[in-house]
Amino acid sequence: MGANIYRNKKPALVFLFPAFLFMALFLYYPFFKNILNSFMEIKQLGSAGNGFNSPWYSNYVEMFQDQNIWTSVKNTIVMMLVTLIGQVGIAIVLALMVDNISKGKSFFRTVFFFPIVISATALGLMFNLIFLRDKGMVNQLLEMLGKQSLTDWKAEGIALVTMMLPVMWQYVGFYFVILVTGLNNISDELYEAARIDGATTLQRVRYISIPLLHNVICTCSVLAVTGALKVFDLPWVMFPKGMPLKTTFLTGTYMYYHTMETKNVDYGAAIAVLIVILGVILSKVVNWVFHEKDY
Amino acid sequence: MKKRVIATMLAGAMVLSMTACGGNADSASTPAPAETESSAADDAAAEPEAEAEPEAEAPAEATGPVELVVTTTFAGEDTNAQNYKDAVAAWEAETGNTVVDTSATADETFKTRVATDFETGSEPDVLFFFNGADSNSFIEAGKVMSIDDIRAVYPDYASNMNDGLIADSLVDGKKYAVPVNGFWEAMFFNAEILEEAGVSKPDGNYTMDQFKEDCEKIKAAGYTPIAAALGNIPHYWWEFAIFNNQSPATHLEIPENVDDANGQAWVAGMNDIKELYELGYFPENTLSATDDETFAMFTEGKAAFLIDGSWKVGGIVGACQSDPEDPSTLDAEKLAKFDVTYVPGKGDRKASDLVGGISSGYFITRKAWEDPEKQAAAVNFVSYMTSDSVVPAFAQHAASALKNAPAVDESEFNALQIKAMEMMAGTTSLTGAVQDLFQGDCRVSTFDGMPEIVTGRVAAEDAVAEGLETYHNQ
Repeated sequence: MGANIYRNKKPALVFLFPAFLFMALFLYYPFFKNILNSFMEIKQLGSAGNGFNSPWYSNYVEMFQDQNIWTSVKNTIVMMLVTLIGQVGIAIVLALMVDNISKGKSFFRTVFFFPIVISATALGLMFNLIFLRDKGMVNQLLEMLGKQSLTDWKAEGIALVTMMLPVMWQYVGFYFVILVTGLNNISDELYEAARIDGATTLQRVRYISIPLLHNVICTCSVLAVTGALKVFDLPWVMFPKGMPLKTTFLTGTYMYYHTMETKNVDYGAAIAVLIVILGVILSKVVNWVFHEKDY
Repeated sequence: MKKRVIATMLAGAMVLSMTACGGNADSASTPAPAETESSAADDAAAEPEAEAEPEAEAPAEATGPVELVVTTTFAGEDTNAQNYKDAVAAWEAETGNTVVDTSATADETFKTRVATDFETGSEPDVLFFFNGADSNSFIEAGKVMSIDDIRAVYPDYASNMNDGLIADSLVDGKKYAVPVNGFWEAMFFNAEILEEAGVSKPDGNYTMDQFKEDCEKIKAAGYTPIAAALGNIPHYWWEFAIFNNQSPATHLEIPENVDDANGQAWVAGMNDIKELYELGYFPENTLSATDDETFAMFTEGKAAFLIDGSWKVGGIVGACQSDPEDPSTLDAEKLAKFDVTYVPGKGDRKASDLVGGISSGYFITRKAWEDPEKQAAAVNFVSYMTSDSVVPAFAQHAASALKNAPAVDESEFNALQIKAMEMMAGTTSLTGAVQDLFQGDCRVSTFDGMPEIVTGRVAAEDAVAEGLETYHNQ
């Protein structure tokens, strides 16, 4: 009798049901509803809509003719590459350096992780001041160094860089902490053996740390790429409405722009569907490229 | 295979959920402290007369203190943000009721939020909002009470207002919103820059040609002639550029198409802005700057002209205070440099023909009206906020709809408010803003599309045609 109670799975199902119901109600229902909405004519968020578009797939036709969609997809892909190289890449370098120091490891962990806990909106406002054309921090520093003219860091051509730098800076610490934890799991005996064999620091990193961090780096890369798809708040605060000249739209900000600003809700829903498709494809690609190895 | 399909769908749903997430106040003057004794109007509204018409239903009575959810546009840099806070605090102290304030700066996101709240049944009890096309959706849905309906139960509701000055709804011609203060749009300028550039103070006969000559002198003197963020808030220039190619009689007519006379006036207006941009009169970063940045250029003495509304008086005064919250820290000398005048005219529009009117007011929602606990409190709140004692503090130098507007005590006004009153005294006509009628995604091609128009990437004619087509299809 005593052992039989572990074979009864019904209680577990009962406990799982509320979580399932929650997900069904607040995730899967809106998801499928959003697909339906993308075929309807909706001019007001929250309204039922005025029937189907004519033709019902018109939003998707419009999407192919909309130059801003291609700009936002292109920018999002650039953001993914920047995230991979700028966030994961820098985090690897920082983690390896911190792993090689004997004192102050926890200090650097805290310092590098700190930007994560700051609200992205607050960071956006802060970087707005840093990159302000008139009396912004960067321009003041350049002025002190003798630069005569003011640089518009939000001008067309350079705006994308100005937008991506803070995003990159904010999340480096996140991947840094994951990687440092991965490095801590590598046995000291391996390093010691390598040292006895005469391996230099660079060789230990090249032949021990990096290979054994492979799976952690893969996890970070998948997180970075999928995370880049949902970046929204900081870019929107710094570059509302894709300013300047709609060159800084990301897929997320462009969806928000149509839903909240132009009141073209059904088109916003269609963009959301595109984001899902993009997310699924890119997740597959990233998983294929960064597949984990068994050791 | 089935598993794979389900996994793909779940992954997709998660990505969607992730992407779907995301979601300086200063006062122009020391507000007249809201009186703790209610005015006659308040009393009358709160306690309807016994001799009400026989068919009128009895007013609902609350059993205790009431919590009202109130949404207004008195927030951020709005001149009346502090006045509103003071008036709400006084009303709460007087009645024992409380206000849950969900006010925000009036931008497109705020308008969407309000409309969405109505659509989803989470509207506030009382709303201070625009009475033009912005309010059409919730009036059509019958979610707010008309003034006449309220008067059937509370006969003295808004009785201190001149009904002729309360705007009719574009939906059914009824009056819904009890106004507080009017607005005007005009051109602020920095007198010190004008003097340095050898430009005389513009008057009611100021023309666009003179304006361009003056801008050239100002530019030569090393200043930016016009403070405006065309990539962020082109609204004021949009309005006046169109007005300059029409007349007060035709300004509120939305063109049937781009080829008719009004349509061509709109195109000419867009091209006028493009010309000013090409002449280099806007800030170098006008396409990438926010309105706050260009406003700061103006208040810091780097730009000479700024077209904006009466609500910006408070922002300018605040910029002249070391503590924007404390009027006693006002730098009067700095404020004296700022002045306000008419927007340069052209053709049939004289400079002194201004854009203005009474475009907002307090709505009582049906939800609050049908709640016996809240009905009387909502009526009392609106009556208090629109009473003869409170309205003058909000209206200041702008107009109100009061029947018996008290004489203005200029000694309570700062220098810029007095200049604004002098400017308003010379106004030859006051016309509403056509953009209040031209709402929704029809604006996108010429508002958000302004950078493309001024840089020549999109022809003004095409942008106007696109906007008009969207307007007539919605």
